[in-house]
Amino acid sequence: MADPTVGGRSVTGQAGAWEPIADGAVERVAPEALDGRVGAAMAAGARYVMLVGLDERSVGGRGLAVEVALAAPSGYIRLRVDLPLDRPVYPSLARSVPAAHWDEREIRGLLGVTPQGHPDSRRLVLHEHWPGSYHPLRKDVPADERPPITTREFVPFEVHGDGVYQLPVGPIHAGVIEPGHFRFSAVGERIPHLAAYLFFTHRGLEKLVEGRTFDAALPVIERACGVCTVTHAMAFAQATEALTRTTIPERAAWARVVLAELERLYNHVGDLGNICAGIGFHSAVARFGALREQLLRLNEELTGHRYLMATVGIGGLRADLNPRGLALVRDTLPLVERELAAAVRAVIRSAGVRLRTHGTGVVSRETADSLGATGIAGKASGLDFDLRRDEPYARYSELAIQPISVQAGDVAARFDVRAREAHDAIRMVLEALQALEMLPAGPIRSEPSEAPEAGMSTIAGVEGPRGASRLWLRAGPAGTVDRVHLRSASFANWPVVAAAVPGDLVPDFPLINKSFELCYACTDR
Amino acid sequence: MISDLLDRFLLPLRRGPLGRPYPDAPATLPPNVRGLPELDTSRCDASADCVSACPTQAITVGGGVWTLDAGRCVFCGDCVRACPRDALKLGDRVELAARARADLLIVIPIQVPR
Repeated sequence: MADPTVGGRSVTGQAGAWEPIADGAVERVAPEALDGRVGAAMAAGARYVMLVGLDERSVGGRGLAVEVALAAPSGYIRLRVDLPLDRPVYPSLARSVPAAHWDEREIRGLLGVTPQGHPDSRRLVLHEHWPGSYHPLRKDVPADERPPITTREFVPFEVHGDGVYQLPVGPIHAGVIEPGHFRFSAVGERIPHLAAYLFFTHRGLEKLVEGRTFDAALPVIERACGVCTVTHAMAFAQATEALTRTTIPERAAWARVVLAELERLYNHVGDLGNICAGIGFHSAVARFGALREQLLRLNEELTGHRYLMATVGIGGLRADLNPRGLALVRDTLPLVERELAAAVRAVIRSAGVRLRTHGTGVVSRETADSLGATGIAGKASGLDFDLRRDEPYARYSELAIQPISVQAGDVAARFDVRAREAHDAIRMVLEALQALEMLPAGPIRSEPSEAPEAGMSTIAGVEGPRGASRLWLRAGPAGTVDRVHLRSASFANWPVVAAAVPGDLVPDFPLINKSFELCYACTDR
Repeated sequence: MISDLLDRFLLPLRRGPLGRPYPDAPATLPPNVRGLPELDTSRCDASADCVSACPTQAITVGGGVWTLDAGRCVFCGDCVRACPRDALKLGDRVELAARARADLLIVIPIQVPR
């Protein structure tokens, strides 16, 4: 069924590969064959998407499973490895696919699956005070249970040697930012190694929504993070719409473009300012801050909410965009564009900015590619991937996505890419508004045409402000969520931050970190 | 260079100050702002459509009262759209801090038709 609005399927010309798929139809792979199968697919041009751990007992299975998803030009390749409950072990992928490194550490804790031969035995999501045998994503663990707190000592990874000292920073920081512990091993001011410990705000959102209806799960997934709400809500809505074979009204599809690009825009404008904060360039911080505030107020006029929450709904929109807000956005964005261009010009012409940002926090194309860097983090290192173009959803198939890819991979490159994406977002909002104006009045939400079949699963992707955010979703009985896995762009990019720092100076870290400006909450879930 | 300097001063001048006198003066909010749901008791017929529409189970109806738990409400407006008698709207009350969890319960007596 051709349907350009859901999951970007018909656009590829190979509808089947992007469709939801019954569990029984997912390609089964023996544990020892997984690495070779993934390697062959990637050698043929497929990109690593995610690795999700599953407890199959809720859908009639007897054990656990691991699914590896890859994106090939023709659609997703999904490989499932069934694992017995008494010995859930498979050979680790992380050595040949470094992008899978964190996913495997995550499922080791959350699901109790062992990726044998994984190069890193440290914990990831569940910190040291969790009992080692406690795996909350297993179906026999109640969501409201409070496990006992154990007191295993936290041993940070450190580099030792003559003149090397350790600099612990966080998880509580001086500013109003999210929690993360950074352990610098430093020689003088130079950092040979940075270890980043996150997941302090792990709230168990994936577990929390299991068994809920899709409508009741949406507000939780939407709030995985406060500044990527449209991204997560759209990914969840797209996945649900794919499972229920719902086509959203054209009005809603164009409105989703408006919302997604406004989210990108206010994030990028604020983050351009945050990079300046990392240098101590305060007049620029204020300038970008004022612009961001203007954009948040436009969001509020348009949707009643500064961070655009509860506007995307399953089947389309929950509420239509406010007509007065639409007119305000249309009239204000050209002014914002001019002020943005002037502010960006003032920053990149500053000699002080140049000295701090050029050659700082360099990520090579090879590193970016092997770690699966996405969004700005990838584009600034020469990777040209964008889900809006590669797996179009909403109405992106009708918009030209400007290819943005620069090679330098440093802070300056990420500033540059971010500024260009912000301008491109303004253009796309205005084009989508024009398209909305041409549309006759009509519904903004479709009723699901069929109930989601238990055991059907799908993957949705949205290019959020920080890159490709993916969501894996399986339906349970009677229109409920069996399992959802959210792999945000921030999750994908955090290991890239840690790789960008070595060789740079301690005072460059805030700057490098802000040039990525990743969410902790999106990562921790 | 000159145009940069002009832009730097003229653009903000044209835009005007973004600062607002809140909290010294009442907050200026757009008309469509999503504040606390408000119930018009003269229209409510206790059909409880709002209860089933709420994605976070913030509303209960029973015992002659309509109760909203502002600690669960996410201000989405699904209840407003579900009400067949237009008894609900999202108001402009946005100052919702409370000192105790129980103070977040908003309890409104309603006439239950017999």
